[in-house]
Order: sequence, then C-alpha cells, then structure tokens
Amino acid sequence: MKKLSKLIRSRELPVFFALALVYFGTGFANPQFFTVTVVNDIFLGVAIVAVLAVAQTFVLVMRHIDLSVGSVIGFTAFMIGDLSSQGYPLIVVLSAALLIGAAVGAVNGYLVAYLRLPSLVVTLATMYVVRGIFNEVAKGQTIVESDVPEELNWLGLNRFFGVPYLFIIGIILMLVAGFVMYRVRAARDLYAIGSNAAAAELVGIPVNRRVFFAFLATGAISGLAGAVMLARFNSASTNSGLGLELVVIAACVVGGVTIAGGAGTVYGAVIGAILLQEILLAIGALGIPQFWQLAVNGILIIAAIGLDRYLSTRVKSTSIMGNK
Amino acid sequence: MSFSQQPILEMRKAAKAFGGVQALAGADLTLYPGEIHALLGENGAGKSTLLKALAGVHKIDSGSIVLNGKNFEQGSTRLARDQGIAVIYQEPSLFPDLTLAENVFVGRQLSKAGFVDWKAMEEEAQKLFAQLGVQLSAGRRARGLSIADQQIVEIAKALSINAQVIIMDEPTAALSSKEVERLFSVARNLKEQNCSVVFVSHRLDEVFALCQRVTVMRDGATVGTDLISNIDENKIIKMMVGREVSELFPKQPAELGDVVLKVENLGQAGQFTGINFEVRKGEIVGLAGLVGSGRSEIVRAIFGIDKYDTGSVFLNGKSLARGSASKAMDAGIAFVPEDRRQQGLLMPYSISTNTAITVLKKLSRAFLIRAKKEKEVAITWGQTLQLKYTSVEDAVEKLSGGNQQKVVLGKWFATNPELLIVDEPTRGIDVGTKSEVHKLLSQKVQQGLAVIMVSSELPEVLGMSDRIIVMREGRQTAILNREDATPEKVIALATGAVSAK
Repeated sequence: MKKLSKLIRSRELPVFFALALVYFGTGFANPQFFTVTVVNDIFLGVAIVAVLAVAQTFVLVMRHIDLSVGSVIGFTAFMIGDLSSQGYPLIVVLSAALLIGAAVGAVNGYLVAYLRLPSLVVTLATMYVVRGIFNEVAKGQTIVESDVPEELNWLGLNRFFGVPYLFIIGIILMLVAGFVMYRVRAARDLYAIGSNAAAAELVGIPVNRRVFFAFLATGAISGLAGAVMLARFNSASTNSGLGLELVVIAACVVGGVTIAGGAGTVYGAVIGAILLQEILLAIGALGIPQFWQLAVNGILIIAAIGLDRYLSTRVKSTSIMGNK
Repeated sequence: MSFSQQPILEMRKAAKAFGGVQALAGADLTLYPGEIHALLGENGAGKSTLLKALAGVHKIDSGSIVLNGKNFEQGSTRLARDQGIAVIYQEPSLFPDLTLAENVFVGRQLSKAGFVDWKAMEEEAQKLFAQLGVQLSAGRRARGLSIADQQIVEIAKALSINAQVIIMDEPTAALSSKEVERLFSVARNLKEQNCSVVFVSHRLDEVFALCQRVTVMRDGATVGTDLISNIDENKIIKMMVGREVSELFPKQPAELGDVVLKVENLGQAGQFTGINFEVRKGEIVGLAGLVGSGRSEIVRAIFGIDKYDTGSVFLNGKSLARGSASKAMDAGIAFVPEDRRQQGLLMPYSISTNTAITVLKKLSRAFLIRAKKEKEVAITWGQTLQLKYTSVEDAVEKLSGGNQQKVVLGKWFATNPELLIVDEPTRGIDVGTKSEVHKLLSQKVQQGLAVIMVSSELPEVLGMSDRIIVMREGRQTAILNREDATPEKVIALATGAVSAK
C-alpha cells in the first residue's frame, strides 16, 4: 500500500503514461505501429541516448551539467575503430575508450569541483576542445565497417530473445546505476549536494570529491559508450555524436531529472530517452513531416518542466501543528 | 538540573576579534546537563559569535572551552557535532528533495552490508519524531515543511547523534504561538533526557516561561549568570543595557519646521499594521525595535520598494504614489539601505560613478553622461563628507566600510532630498567614522532635512533621535520623546516586557 502510493507520486510515472499514450494513440491511427519491428526500432535507436542519459543523471542531480559527452562518445567511437583496425585486441581498445572518457571527465571534474568554475561553461569548452582534438587525430578519415571489431559488429546486429543486445546493455547499466544511486551512500550524497550544496558542506559531505568523481564517472561511461555507437552504426566520422549532448539532456529532463538538481532517477532518464525515440517513429507512422519532430521534442521539454513545477508547488506544505 | 553534577560545558574568558572589532572579550558560559539556559544580550553583544564558536564555525583567539571534562576541539562544524554540540538555527537549511529520514541521517546514512538501509532509517527517524512528541512522516520529502517542522527535523538530527548540548538560536522568531508551545514542550522533553539546551531569544516572556538559568552578555563579555528565580525583567534589562548613553552621538538641536512626511494607518499583510507618524523639517525620527519587528519593512514601503496594503503616505501634504521608488525620489525622498554592499553601491565602479548615479539626468546632455561633471559632483561631496580616498576614479570596493557609507550618503545628498531615510546608518563602521556620519546627519538636519533613522543600536537611536517610534512584532508600541526615552524603556517596549499604553 505504501509502496503503491510512492509509485503513484513518483516523477517517472507521468512519463511512463506519456510513453503508453503515444504508443497506443499512434497504433490506433496506424496499426502498423503495433508490430514487433517498431518496438525493436525504438529499442535499437534508443540505446546510445539511454546509456548517455544514465551517465548524465549523475551530474544533473548535483545541479551540474556535462555538455562534453557528445564529443567524447564520437571521439571514442572513432578511436575504437581506428585502434582496432591497427590490430589491437578488443580489451585494449575498450580500455583506451574508457580512459579517454575518464580523462575528459577528470578535467571537467577538477575544474568544476576544485576551481569552482561553472560546469555549463567548463563542459562547453571541453566539448569544443575534444571535438578539436578529434578532428586533428582523425584528419578527415572515417571508420568503415571493415574497421569495426567483429564482436561489436555482432552485438549491433543480434538480439537476445528478440531484444537487441545494445538495448540490453543500456538496461543493465540503468539497473546497476539505479541501485547504486539509491543504496550507496556516496551516491546519495550527489542528491544532497544538488538539493542544498551549502548544507551538504555543513553536514560534512566531501562535496568537492563527490563532484569530481561524478564527473569522472560520467566521462568514463560516455567514453565506453563509444563502443555502443560504433556497434550501432558500424561507422564513425568527425561528425559522430555532434549535438548528441542536447538530445541526452532533453531525455533526462523529459524523464524527470531536474536541471535544478536534487531529484530524478536513471530510470526516468531512460524512460525519457525511450519517449523521445518513440515520438520520432510515431511522427513517421502518422505521416507527419519529420521536421516536426524537433518541435515536438521542444514542447515535451517545456511540458516536463511545467509538470515538474506543478508537482513541486502541489507538494503538501505543513502548517501549525505539523500534520503529515 | 542538578548543579552538584559536573557541568557539561564550560567556556572561560573566550575572546575573538574580527579585524579591528572585538566580538568576544571575556565570554563565560557554564552549562549543566538537564537545564534550559537562556543566553541574552542586545544586538551586537556577542551572542552569535559565542554560538558560532560552539558550533565550530569560528575558532576563539584565546580562552578555553571544556566539554564533558575534555578540551573542546575547534575546527569545523562536523567536528563540533561529533563532540556532541548541535545548533538549531532560526531558519534551518534542510535538503528539500530528500525525505525527512534521509535529512536526519544525511552524510551518515544507516547501512546494512555496505548499502543504505532505508527501512531502518525511516523507522529510526519515526521513532525520534515520536520521542519528541511530534507528528511527522519520516517518508515525506522536506520540501514544503514549515519552519517549525524544519526545526523539529534538526532537533531529531541532534538527538540521533546523541548531542549533549543543543543550541537554539532565536528559534521562535518565525513561529506562531502554537508552534512556540510545541517547541517548548520539545525543549522540556530534551531537558528530561538530560540534554543541555541553550535558548537564545529576544522575548523575555519566553525566557521566563522556559528557562532555568540565564546568562547575559554585553559588549562581547558575560555580565552575569543567575537562576531565573533570582532575577526579574528589570534586572535583566539593566544587565543588557548597563552603560550610559555615550556622547558619541551629538545631535545638535535644530529648529523644527513644517510637517514633511505624514504616514497614516500604514499596513502590509504579515509585516506591519497601524503605523501612524509625522516627520518635520529638522527632525530625526528613530525607528527602534528588534530585528524582524517590521522597522525596515516600513521604510521600504514608504520609499516604494515594496507596496503597502492599507493606509497612505503624504509628502508635504501631497499623497505619494504607492510602490514607486522613482516617484518617491522625484518627490524628494532619499533612501540609504541597510545593506550597502548589496543594495547601496555598485562595488566595482568608481566613487564618481557611484556618487553621480542619482543625478545622472541632470548631468547628461542628449543621453550622454558627462564624465567631467560626474567627477565634479563626486569631489564636491567627497570634501563635504571628509571622504578618504586617493582618486575619485577608485572602485568603491577598495574603500573601508565607513567610507563606503559616506559615498552612499553623498550620492543621496547630491539629490538635495527633503526627507532622508537611513536604515542602519553605521552598521559595521568604526567608532571614529561613526561619529563623523552622525555629525553629518546632524548638520543636514540643521539645514532643514527631515530624517527617518532605523537602527538596531540603542545608543545611536537614543543619541540621535528627536522622537523614537518603538516597534514590536509589526506594531508601533509607543512614540517616545527624546527626554522620555531611556534604554530600559525602549527595550521593555520592544521586547514586550511591559505592555504599551
């Protein structure tokens, strides 16, 4: 009973309803939407954004932001292909991707946590810097199918009981991160920091260290996500991941992770990502011109923020004798 | 409380200076387990500094603090808490997005096998709320909690760390009377559990209702400690004031002229109500009262920064528009705000820019500001005000607090106001500059300026004002003439120790 009321009040539920509404609404108008292919298209298409949205949640709940993830994922997707084509074994290649991501995350984290620079500006800068290095390293080359490690190729094409492996990877990451964010003390601190940074400092939370490591984790996961991107597209160029960071943040916000910090879960972020992907396909199925997709995304973001504001003002306030 | 026991806390001869200001100079405090101890003193007597020393925010320069027979280790709030001292601030800062249970245990969440144990945490928090006799659900989020309930959560937090000393810094200032009652029963509850509670309040009736002993501070030092049963309100007030009104504030007699400002039945919901007074040419009217009694809100409403809800304001017999600072300025009112750094000055800009900003219209031609004129204005006023500076091009943030205040005064004097409103004209200013500021005000008043002065410093109000309006909880309790105003009377009226006629 208590669990049920908790579920009803959760921030994720309205997004979930929106998801169902779009699905059945579109399917009603165009029964072809009710096919397994569509579901699979959604799952496959959402994998990359889902992974990045999970990682982005770490920094968003602290009331920070990481705009560098699009550059990082594009760069590591390229590097995985590039190194692999030079004959390095997969484990080395993936480690390199992880390290690149972690290094960018460490720079972001250091500048934000210890030098107290605003994360919006810091990660905007590293977004450009990483993209610049990427261009220099790539020198206009592109990664083609023959460069992609076989294992990644296989992952991108195959399914486990009909569910694309890439989507399963995203779901596993979400479940692990979801557990950590709920049950590990250090991760709880991220919510405290985002909710009231000054008070967090006063109760003895090592704020700087937490901020640093959260950026590090976001960077590392985004780096590793390059493998997912390469597996999905079988190619990479200097345009890979361009603008992706904004799609990721949109997914998080739509899923109830507030920019104001302190609230939201990785589950919400993933549901938000699925919703955006679903809408993309629904627009096609309904015969609406594709360019409406972006406008719909924008409206969704505003709706999400509006709902959030509504929920937070509707929250019960206590008075004189403190009723529950 | 039993005084045969060892005291839980003993502070001896604590001293602390900030820059040139001696905030603590020989403060003593002894606390026993199971007592509620009142800490009293005027604004600036050193209470806050003392509390912050115990909370681990400030380190004392000299003196000793012994807690539970051991030397109290100073350094951080965390350290103070680990040693068993908890502070409940007037407005607690909880984490609005976290549940009450997590708020109680934040930073040290209960865990099982390395993972946060939510169930245990909620049960434990719920038990603490029950122990305090309060109905709060540990599972709800802190957003939307009333201030009274937020304080309860902080007290539960203090209990959960087994705090032996719980300091409440003016906890009742923002509470309704029902909430105050509940807080009292919680405090008595803590006392039963052998905690030592320090209670800071300006309301003497509360002190007598709740506390067993009282310590009075003045000028950074402890004046005395006594059982509440040995003492009465008059004695406490004497101890708090304890000094002659010094000659530092030489208001020169000035000839009173026509009524400049007339305030009729002014009221603002939740802030103040039924405010009536007049200010004449050549007169200084002081607004005295505790912080939060509505003093600043009244002058802000008169100047039009905030809107008032009832009543009216007349300047020279003409009704003044409500809620428009620019109209108030045009009509000849000048306003020197309480917080000069935030509201009074553009800190990174030069003295001349800051001084001339109020008269830009007069100085500009075809929308262009004439820098030379700006400088002239600044230099004229700089001389009049005996401003100490190297160049009028210097940024005001480089000036001392006293000189900054002179720039603020200068910029308003430049408009040739008929009525000047000053809120805390000498806060944080050294004694020498202080008397210069007072002399300046005095001179201007002799030339026919009318002044409303808000001040928390009793000697300043008493020394400078022709008449004093005493405020208490949003109402004017009395208007005293200069000759009738004594420190004891003003404090008694401001704290409600006697009821106004």
